[in-house]
Amino acid sequence: MKKTVDVSIPLGPVHPCWKEPVRIKCETAGERVLRTEVELGYMKKGIERIMRGRPWQEVMFLAERVCGICSVIHNMVFIEAMEEISEIAVPPRAAYLRVIVNELDRMASHILANFSYCYTIEHETLAMYLLNTRETVLDNLERLTGSRINTAYMIPGGVRFDLLPEDAAAMLADLSKVEDEMRRYTGMFETGPLIALRSKGIGVMDREEAIRAHTVGPTARASGVVCDLRLRHPTYRELGFTQVTRTEGDNFARIMVRFQEVFQSIDLIRKCIETLPDGPIRGGGLCRAGETSYAGEAPRGELTYSIKTDEYGRVVDIAIRTPSIMNIEACAHSMIRDVTSIADVTSTFISSDPCIACNER
Amino acid sequence: MSILQEIKNAVRSRSIHVAYVDVGSCNGCDIEVLACLAPRYDIEQYGIYVHNNPREADVLLVIGSVTPQWVDKLRDIWEKIPEPKAAVAIGNCPISGCVYARRGTLTTPPVENYIPIAAQVPGCPPRPTEILSAILSVAPLIYKDYEEKHR
Amino acid sequence: MRSIVYYLREFFRPEWVRKFFFAKTAPLVAPSYFKDYPSLTGKECTQCLTCMMICPAPGAIAVLHKKGGWEPEIYPGHCIRCGLCVEACPEGVLSSGRILDVTSRDRTAFSSWYRLQVDDTLCMRCGNCCVSCPVNREVDPQLAGTGTSASDEVIMRIEGGRVTILHEEKCTGCKTCENNCPNRAIRVARMVEGIQGEEEAEA
Repeated sequence: MKKTVDVSIPLGPVHPCWKEPVRIKCETAGERVLRTEVELGYMKKGIERIMRGRPWQEVMFLAERVCGICSVIHNMVFIEAMEEISEIAVPPRAAYLRVIVNELDRMASHILANFSYCYTIEHETLAMYLLNTRETVLDNLERLTGSRINTAYMIPGGVRFDLLPEDAAAMLADLSKVEDEMRRYTGMFETGPLIALRSKGIGVMDREEAIRAHTVGPTARASGVVCDLRLRHPTYRELGFTQVTRTEGDNFARIMVRFQEVFQSIDLIRKCIETLPDGPIRGGGLCRAGETSYAGEAPRGELTYSIKTDEYGRVVDIAIRTPSIMNIEACAHSMIRDVTSIADVTSTFISSDPCIACNER
Repeated sequence: MSILQEIKNAVRSRSIHVAYVDVGSCNGCDIEVLACLAPRYDIEQYGIYVHNNPREADVLLVIGSVTPQWVDKLRDIWEKIPEPKAAVAIGNCPISGCVYARRGTLTTPPVENYIPIAAQVPGCPPRPTEILSAILSVAPLIYKDYEEKHR
Repeated sequence: MRSIVYYLREFFRPEWVRKFFFAKTAPLVAPSYFKDYPSLTGKECTQCLTCMMICPAPGAIAVLHKKGGWEPEIYPGHCIRCGLCVEACPEGVLSSGRILDVTSRDRTAFSSWYRLQVDDTLCMRCGNCCVSCPVNREVDPQLAGTGTSASDEVIMRIEGGRVTILHEEKCTGCKTCENNCPNRAIRVARMVEGIQGEEEAEA
């Protein structure tokens, strides 16, 4: 019998598929992956250390720069945590505007995640289509907030800029365009036979494993776990939010969950613009001393900020728990184990939408 | 200057391979580099091919303030790029450290301390058009008459 | 054979050749609503330093004394284009994107003030903070050495061996005291509140 030589194959930190530096060591027998180990720590900047002793107007920008892809939700969770500490009420119009910006950011993030999956399985056409659609979404984000990526839109007690009626009309027109395009691309992804060969039944994580690994976000929802913190958010509850779940738990399901959530985000924004209440966009209010732990639903899952402030509203202690860390561990232990080829390691890893910058801060 | 050199100049300025390395940023600049690939900006029509392989790259896009893990690795990557080569700093982080250059930080900006930087694109993050024009402006200057200069 | 002829004809079409060698996407300009680096509007700067104090990025903005008076200067390698300085400036000296139009329409603004906090366990009673404070120096030119002062109008002075803060509201938030403190005992806290329209903040 021919003996199979076991090799340990490192992927990264500079790798054509990774957008950010991470190293994965795969122990293989032939092409079959037996064990994987994720090596993190290439992006540790010490943001939590910098945040200590700073007022909200500085921590807000640092929180935003924890992650550039999902910067809006970091801003939102930090600001809502500060509001919970200091008991600041948000005007209803500001709450709705926050949902609009958050959902636009979620759309951009999900489309980018699907882009990088398609890019990894070398379906470059679909990837470029998706990237171009993302530009339309970012245009709307820019029209409302004034910048494309790090928007700095929310402040305690409200938001910074108002949504004009003509901008709202332009946004609705763009959204229907995005929806048409995304329907087409979703169809392409759903029915493509070669895409199915690369994604269906690969990187399977069943429900028990997903719960045991504490996965969150679309990665968990693709395995049929009910976890979406938007179900508990008051504004989303008003809008009648329901979550998307699939039960397959493979790469295909994870990408499809993101596609479906894009449509859901479009619906939410439409509903927001239709029922946008009039009134002020800023209520004012000072940050006070207190301690809280607040969680929100980032594009990748549950994001928790544990904050302690002093009497002048400065952050004394802060701990951030980002979603990607659970997803990456689950990916390494449940999904990548037993994939039959090294080429599937990268695509499986990308399908869980890892965000290394979030992870290491 | 020989005709051969002129042909080389013309061809080199229209075929630039770009590698990007993230040495500790918020990855906002990362995705703006990716957005350059989108058909709207279409970086490839200028002959710029973005991939992530230092060994066949001409231009290295450095993103992020330098984290301790990257101090030696960044130099390694720079040495692996074949001549002629240039490094472009994308965003505020490699220039000044952006919001991370404060007490308590683990990063050690700027990147110029580690590798020579040919051009800087300020902004947090810069727009894709700014990145595009920076790469286009730096490329012909560096590759012009490379053999003549280094004979 | 026919296909080769077809391809050759395709490739040598003038418009295809032109597109291949010269076609570029139109120069994409930043839209008018993009928050670019703040530019000066020409209004007079009163050196209130609000822009410097609200700026979240280190070393991004400085108010410098130019020939015609004070003038804020933006450093592009540091500025993160958040637009807070534009929104916070009470005089409208800076402008970026359409922030100025929006703030004047919605009457949104930031109100900011400063609180001084001295940690008595760290304070060494050297009086550096009282001496270095530019407001103190203006109010009482004789204030020097140990930081004791006869004037009641100074922001802070040493009374009975410890720093007493008298007029917190006069602080301009320049943080000179914080920089001159050998022990980081005095801290300037910046309180910022986003406000809109009628409901003016009480401070």
